[in-house]
Formats: sequence, structure tokens, C-alpha cells
Amino acid sequence: MKVGFIGLGAMGRPMALHLQRAGHDLHVWARRPESAADLPATVCATPAELGRRCEVVFTIITSSADVEAVALGADGLSEGMAAGSVLVDCSTIAPDAARRIAGRLADEGIHMLDAPVSGGSQGAIDATLAIMAGGDAAVLERVRPLLACLGQRIVHVGPNGAGQVAKACNQMIMVAAIEAAAEAMRLAAAAGVDQARVRAALAGGSAGSRVLEVFGGRMVARDFAAGVEARLHHKDYGLVLEAARKSGVPVPLTAAVSQQLNALMSLGWGDDDTASLLRVLERSAGDVSRTR
Amino acid sequence: MKIGFIGLGIMGRPMALNLLKGGHEVTVWARRAESMQPLREAGAQGADSPAGAAQGNELVISMVADAPDVAEVMRGVVQGAAPGLVAVDMSTIAPAAARRIGEELAAAGIDFMDAPVSGGEVGAIAGTLSIMAGGSEAAFARAQPAFACMGKNIVHVGASGAGQVAKACNQIVTGMGVLAVAEAFAFAAKNGVDRSRVREALLGGFAYSKILENHGQRMLDRNFKPGFKSWMHEKDLNIVMQTAHELGVCLPGAAATAQMFNAMVGSGLGEEDSIAVLKLLERLSGQA
Repeated sequence: MKVGFIGLGAMGRPMALHLQRAGHDLHVWARRPESAADLPATVCATPAELGRRCEVVFTIITSSADVEAVALGADGLSEGMAAGSVLVDCSTIAPDAARRIAGRLADEGIHMLDAPVSGGSQGAIDATLAIMAGGDAAVLERVRPLLACLGQRIVHVGPNGAGQVAKACNQMIMVAAIEAAAEAMRLAAAAGVDQARVRAALAGGSAGSRVLEVFGGRMVARDFAAGVEARLHHKDYGLVLEAARKSGVPVPLTAAVSQQLNALMSLGWGDDDTASLLRVLERSAGDVSRTR
Repeated sequence: MKIGFIGLGIMGRPMALNLLKGGHEVTVWARRAESMQPLREAGAQGADSPAGAAQGNELVISMVADAPDVAEVMRGVVQGAAPGLVAVDMSTIAPAAARRIGEELAAAGIDFMDAPVSGGEVGAIAGTLSIMAGGSEAAFARAQPAFACMGKNIVHVGASGAGQVAKACNQIVTGMGVLAVAEAFAFAAKNGVDRSRVREALLGGFAYSKILENHGQRMLDRNFKPGFKSWMHEKDLNIVMQTAHELGVCLPGAAATAQMFNAMVGSGLGEEDSIAVLKLLERLSGQA
């Protein structure tokens, strides 16, 4: 199948390559054409051209505004995509933006799924992403074979926007868990206890989690190179808080964690891994142990 | 001075009336025509558009709900503006939005000033508002005679947007202040202690504040009539939190407070005064 892909970053590049390796005819468009030069793909001049050539187009880019511009802007996908073709947006954007874009595309007869992913760049490389889809169930079934090249767990959450709601929930739980792991590691160190052993002891019990394993591991190793760039979690937290506000739902813990992320950003660690929340805590209080 | 006034809500109406009392020639415009009637009766001219409110005036003032409303009325003001017009927006909007509107108006030759207020309906009626202005010295000097009719504590905080930054700071302090007093009262009550005596005792010490005195008394009276509606405080705290997000400022207290106001709006307390946060605390502490 002719498959289009837009957004060749740390997530998008391995995802696009999986589709190509599965035997699909890969077409790409990149804002900086050189970022697509070494890919086994047809490079298109505009999103519109890519849309004209492909039956299914994937996007995984940063913000609601980016997706809106690529999908609906001048030379955008909607100018090229035929009625009946499918846009699968794997970006993490606001649920209401996803609904709005899907509605505009539907006016042209173009289907859209919001299909944000979880699992990070490692999950993208290993093709083990969790994919949470919002949109028409029949459309999801049409593209399921493609999604199966990218991840193992593919869940139809509900209509358009529902995938993004699920992703927001995912981010709330995950980043709060990273903060919890950071606070625990910080407390252990301040009490003069070995962080690695605490993490190892916890791994078998009720506090064991994937976050403690992966992010806790990075904290212990003081390996703050991204994995997931913290600035993206910071961005996502803005979306979560906005969605909570629009629904009138209090999210006190999310709000507290968002402020730690704000501190992280101002300390200049936005391009580093979110395990840097540990460094924010270290910055909030010196290494002076208090005895009482 | 000839002044146009746009937006005649809880705050705008008494502010415009005070301009008339101060001897200014005032032209008003409001989206709902009937809200202009009391001002007409008090001697104001009624305009049929924001452009009409700007026409022939030296100063035009807006007092509306949110940034899109300000942008919209100011687009009209540009249509009616004579050269040298000073436009003052006294609504509470995001600092970034105020700066953007200021730049747009500057391109049309209009000197724009953000001058949000604090003091609520009571302060608006009494002409004792705190006014926090951002913009040029020249605009501040031109607007001063109008400010003097509406407010008492009038401060030129800095350049364009600085007034809104000060207002955001004001909302951080008042939002947390109201929550702090409500928490103290919920705590006292759950301990079986008379809240009015607690308030009285605290008024003499370092916990004294206008909020403890005024809002605290209204909590004791269980008078939840607005004043300042909690959905508006929520809106203002959202401006704070969004700006903090953009700049990377860590505001844990304001973030927690914003969620309490979020919960108020979500649980149907949005139209009540922000002191109704006491009701929410009581609900969460098994006191209601």
C-alpha cells in the first residue's frame, strides 16, 4: 500500500521504517528535506502532494497548531487526499483540536483517526507501542494491519478525540509516577540509603512499576539523556490541565507535578529526560542532611 | 475630558458613572443596549458601536470579559479613532494578549494602555479601585484624570503588559488568601472552635489581612453572593498558570489553588463568590 509519513523525529523515523520494511511503498514529507534524504522513501514536495499519492497518511508532530497546519493549511494534506483516504494522527494534541480537525476533514470525505502512542522512542524502535485510537471503528479496522507494524496493543477507545483523552490520562499517570519515583529516590539518598538497592527492593512489590524500572533506573545511573524529552511532557501537561479546566475536573496532583515540570524547564533541562525531575528536587534543597 | 466607555457590567457601570460624576463627557457602548439606559439617564451619550464610542473622544476605556472581547471592541475603536487617541483596557486578560493588542493598536497610531483593577464591585462603586497600569508615560498622564475618578491607589507599573502582570500577581495573592482563610475556618470548625473568635484573635497579628477581615466576615455570615464570582477568579488563575507554563515559573501554591477553583466551577459554585471555596472545603472535610 502507498503509505505517507510526516514527522521524522525520534518517534516518527523508526515508525516509518517499520511500515517500509513491512512492504509498504513509503512516501514522506519533511519540513527540512535533508532529514528524509537517507530514507528508502519517495520524498514529496508538499503535504498536498504526499496526500495525492497515498491511501493512508501518518503524522506524528509536536503541537495542535502543527497538525492543523499540515492537515488543513495551504498545500496541506486536505488539498491532496482523496475522499475515502485516511489520516492517522499519532501526535499528542488537545482532544478538542483532534475533533475539530477530524470534522473539517470529514467535510472533504477524508477519514481521520487520532491515534496517539505511548512507549517512547524505544517502543517505536521495538514496534511495541501502545496505540490509543479515536474515530470510526470501521476505519480503524481498515488501517489496523498498518498499526500492527508499529505496536502490539491497539485499543479503539471511542469516537474522534477519545484517543487523545486516553493519551492525556496516560501522561497524567506516567509523569506523576516519575515524580513519585524521583521523590522516593531523593528521600533515600538524603537518608543515606543506596538508591539502587531501594529501587531493587521495591521492584518486586506493590510499588513496582514500569516507570520505576525505566525512569528510576535512569535516576540511579544519573543518565539524564532523553529517552523522552521532558519538554514534551511539559507540553502535554499544559494540554491535560486545559482539558481538566474545560471539564471542571479538579486535578490537584497533576497541577502540583506541572509546577515541578515548570521548574525543570526554567532550569534548562527541557531537552533532557524527564528523569531530571530528580534534579529539580535536588535543586530545591541542598544535600545537607538534617538530623533531629 | 471626552471619554468613550465600553462594557457596562458589574464593574463597568459604576466606573462609567464615576467618570460622569467627575465632570467628564462620557459616551457609552455595551453589547446589550438596555444596559446603557441607566448611564443615559445619568447624562451619558449612547453609541451604536465601539467605533461610535471612540469617535471624537480623547480617551476610550474598555471593561469587558476576556481577551477576545477586548480584541474585538478595539478593532471597532480603530475604525472610529481620531489621531492621538489613547485606548485603555481595564479588563483582566493575559499579559501576552495585552502586549499583542498594544502592538496592533500602535500600528494604527493609537497609544494603548493595560490598566486592570482590583477592589471588586464595592471599590468600583466607591471609586476606590486599585489601578495597575502598563504602557507609555504619555498615555498614563493622559488617562490620569479618568483614573482619578475611578480609583485611589493608581500605579504605573511599567511598559505594555506590566499592568496585567501586576493583576496576575494580585490574583495569586488574593486567590491563595481566600483559600487560606477558608482553610483556617474549616480547620477551626472541625476542631469545635468558634470561627468568629478565631478571626477576631487573628486580626490583631501577622495573619491580619483585608481578606481575613472582609472575606472572612462574609464566610462567617455565609453570604456567598458575588462580589467576585468564582468562575472569574478561576479564569484569572488560568491566566496565571498559562503564563507560568510558558515562562517556566514554579508556582505550587497557585497551582493547588487553581484546582480548588476549578473544582468550584465543576461543582456548580461558579456563580457564587470566591469565598464559596469554604463550602468545597467543608464538603471535603465531612462538615457539610
